Amino acid sequence: MEPIRYVDALNEKYGSMGFPAYKWSENPTAPWTSLTKPLSECTVAMLVSGGISHCATMPFDPDARNDHRVDAIDPSVPSDEYQIHDSYYDHTDADLDLNCLLPVDRLRELADAGEIGAVAPRHWSGFMGRTYNRSKILGESAPAFADELVADGVDLLIAIPA
Amino acid sequence: MGLVARVVEETGIPTVTVSTGRDITALVKPPRSLFVNFPMGNTFGHAKDTAMQTKILREALAFAATATEPGVLVDLPLEWDEAFVYFAGEATPEAIARQLKK
Repeated sequence: MEPIRYVDALNEKYGSMGFPAYKWSENPTAPWTSLTKPLSECTVAMLVSGGISHCATMPFDPDARNDHRVDAIDPSVPSDEYQIHDSYYDHTDADLDLNCLLPVDRLRELADAGEIGAVAPRHWSGFMGRTYNRSKILGESAPAFADELVADGVDLLIAIPA
Repeated sequence: MGLVARVVEETGIPTVTVSTGRDITALVKPPRSLFVNFPMGNTFGHAKDTAMQTKILREALAFAATATEPGVLVDLPLEWDEAFVYFAGEATPEAIARQLKK
């Protein structure tokens, strides 16, 4: 089937909910850093934006706007100890099995099999949608997040928007 | 999320974005994007479908290792097993009232 046109759908949805008009980011080019190691030597982290938090911490605001919260996800915590709070996608399956959105167990298996070097000490959940103050993302939140990845010795980040 | 990937890449760490929103990702242009035409929330497939979850994860890793050009978006040749639509969410009066206050 044809991909869903989310830009049109979300403009309509947000408009109907009284949101200000959303100006979508549009970039003509992309930055680039080469992966210089083989995957079997890479430390890999994942970042997901779907309102996933550990059950012992405060849930995400399911209707968040301009929420720059980013939680560390401990890869050693069982994947069924997480909760999902986000009103803007259907997380029925992810509620049953986190791996269909954030494949923590699958990545660990690939590390155990030697296909990647290691799972990073922390995965990440945050940067929920409806962020209108994008200069804060670009100037503060994302650089601070990148510093954490550097501190963890991450060689590759898998980013999973939801 | 694509914006965050771009900043991380600029910091010197390669990124690969696995997206279910093709048009949004095409606009934002992360360094490396893999599009999976599955419902949002099911980026790596169905619950408990470990084979599919591993397959897509491996595709993402392989793409990260082989991509040579910034801004490329690759369509994974996978079909969801039934037609799906945009998830309209829980636009309850309470949710709308909360948003109007923000």
